[in-house]
Amino acid sequence: MNARLVGAVILREWRTRVFKRSFVLGTVLLPIASIGFMVGAVMLTESSVVRNVVLIEDAPGLITALDVSSGQYVPRCPGCFPERENLVYHFTREAPTDSVWKAQGHTVLVEYDESILQNHSGYLVYEKSPGGTAKRHIERDLSRAMEHARVRQSTELDWSAYQRLKMELTLFDRGIEDGQRVQGGGDEVRGSIGFLFSAVLLIVLFVYGGVILRSVVEEKANHVVEVLIAAVEPEDLLLGKVVGLGAVAVTQLVAWSILSSMGFVVFQSLYDSGALGVAAAVGSSDVPVDLLTVMGENGALVHLLNINWPLMVVGSIAFYIGGYLLYGSLFAAVGSSVHSEQEGQGMVFPVTMPLMFGYFAATMVIENPDLPILEWLGWFPLTSPVIMLVRMASGVALWEVVASWVLLMLTARLVLGLAGKVYRFSVLHDGSRSGWQLLLHWVRGNGQ
Amino acid sequence: MSTTLQVHQLAKSYGAQHVLDGVTFEVPQGEIVGLLGPNGAGKSTLIRSIMGIVKPDAGEIRLSGQPWSRSAVQGVGYLPEERGLYKDMRVGEQAVYFAQLKGMQKADAVAALRTWFERLEVEGWWDKKVSDISKGMAQKIQFICTVVHRPSLLILDEPLSGFDPINARRIIKEVRALAAEGTSVLLSTHDMPSVERLCDRVVLLNRGKVVLAGPSESLRESGWDGTQEVLFKGTDMAFTVALGALAHLDALEPSSVEGIRKARLRLRSGVTPAALLSALMASVDIVEFIKVRPTMESLFIGAVERAKDSETPAAT
Repeated sequence: MNARLVGAVILREWRTRVFKRSFVLGTVLLPIASIGFMVGAVMLTESSVVRNVVLIEDAPGLITALDVSSGQYVPRCPGCFPERENLVYHFTREAPTDSVWKAQGHTVLVEYDESILQNHSGYLVYEKSPGGTAKRHIERDLSRAMEHARVRQSTELDWSAYQRLKMELTLFDRGIEDGQRVQGGGDEVRGSIGFLFSAVLLIVLFVYGGVILRSVVEEKANHVVEVLIAAVEPEDLLLGKVVGLGAVAVTQLVAWSILSSMGFVVFQSLYDSGALGVAAAVGSSDVPVDLLTVMGENGALVHLLNINWPLMVVGSIAFYIGGYLLYGSLFAAVGSSVHSEQEGQGMVFPVTMPLMFGYFAATMVIENPDLPILEWLGWFPLTSPVIMLVRMASGVALWEVVASWVLLMLTARLVLGLAGKVYRFSVLHDGSRSGWQLLLHWVRGNGQ
Repeated sequence: MSTTLQVHQLAKSYGAQHVLDGVTFEVPQGEIVGLLGPNGAGKSTLIRSIMGIVKPDAGEIRLSGQPWSRSAVQGVGYLPEERGLYKDMRVGEQAVYFAQLKGMQKADAVAALRTWFERLEVEGWWDKKVSDISKGMAQKIQFICTVVHRPSLLILDEPLSGFDPINARRIIKEVRALAAEGTSVLLSTHDMPSVERLCDRVVLLNRGKVVLAGPSESLRESGWDGTQEVLFKGTDMAFTVALGALAHLDALEPSSVEGIRKARLRLRSGVTPAALLSALMASVDIVEFIKVRPTMESLFIGAVERAKDSETPAAT
């Protein structure tokens, strides 16, 4: 390998794309569009919030009692109807006609009879839908109130005693490592993180694989190839191309990250200051405002902290590089064998099928990271980039990560060499064959 | 004189087809060698073998006396027949890139390219996009990219295609100048007039074999069949009597100038031009006495036809 020439090719690929107007526009516009989408989504959500005043017609008197002092029906279990955002309950034993309860300011009527305790169903009456969230809240609150009523009717227990006797079992995971019991569980949480990493890799491979394919096809169409391979070994040329376009991808991802972070900070400050006109409404809700709070409540944070993050970060970078080099070389080989990008797209699917298979197999790793077939897929270079990302998050021996990566890099090197040979062969070929035909012709030894 | 390129017994086959079959020739330093041959003769495979794009099955290539190597090829400038430029790059940026691929440092490349751009009067195109320039302009840029690193050997495959006559003449002038400075040139073309104007030597390939090779002048001289053209003042009778048995008269006609006759004749075996001239001068006024040597085109066609005949089995 001639490092100086590879460097020149890398620099050309990087410069010609990064300084292109379309690249700059795309890099700047995507974060702006994302933030705009976020603002739009928040504003849409806020504008779609409806204040629901629910009238519950408790005809059988299961969940309400008359409050003598106020003369109003009130729930027997006030805790069953917690204070909710944009949801207010009123109770009655006999609802007026639809036009009347609506005129009284109610938006929804809930009605049922004694059979509700057996058939678990009633009616939700409205002119305009209260929305899915409100409906779920109403169902949940009423279910608890009915449960309260059934306990009261069918047992000698009072509600608080019943609550104490209720039992929800939790099994804490304990794994055995090196004969010692250690904290286990959290496979799904950790696997999901790995899955997220593999999803990003998949997107990068498909987007920039396409760019590699297009670049090789364009070079052939421009008739630049013969001059190039007279100066640079095809293998070095393709390596420079793959690495250069990888550098473009990194540049774009870094630029997106920085711009998105800056945009998010601006969005957050506008949001907090109320400039978007929605901060107060969301800020006072009972929804936890940050991800860490949510994860903390679910115990997910503990599992996330259990991930071997140094290995995860270093390993991810390594497998991103290896996966990109391997699939980038495959895309380059496809580009070398075809006359047009359109023809190349037809060949991309079979080439990327192992990757897609690996991605779907990665979902199984989340469910059960120790399946033997998945361990094998972690060794197979065409699937290891996505499988190992999930396995690293779920927990895997360091030697397995290193060995799998070495195998991946060796395969990438081999594929790059083969892609270089296809590239050279396609340049020399008279052009009567392309795609699979050309590859078959080459494999049969009709090349040089 | 040292030799820049030596090709010895080069062979290359694709399956049963022998594309190159024991090709041997040399390109001396500072000389322009024409590589001729009909389509499919193996010229492109030969050039690609020299450039390392094709790996020959047998034979040897030496560049400036050294065995072929990738680093030695860096000293070769190659302008292929199928050539192009990156459409999305600027002209100067692209020329610098190609120069770097040929081993030049960026600063040196920029300086050398600026000189060449001025020399070919394209200095105003440095910052233009390739997609914005004409085909002829692009051809000039490609030529500059080929020669900017001062190669010891230039391989030009149909270098004049796409050029108008004025720019073609300019490129010929530059090729001659480079040769005069010591650059060896291997010129592959079907344009016979440019071969006659440019080439010191020719190598004629047919079906992968060298069927004719040598200095252009020697080849034309050795291919001379005794044809002479004579412009004279006098009567046809006096001319034919003087001609006697010295030469065979092929044609006798008036020339474009009034009062001057033009004769085309072939010397008989053993008769020298000087003997014929003195015999004619005794009877008519000789205006011009021209030795008509074969053109490169007729040598080319003759050699190919002879090669074809020798391969055809004799009829029984």
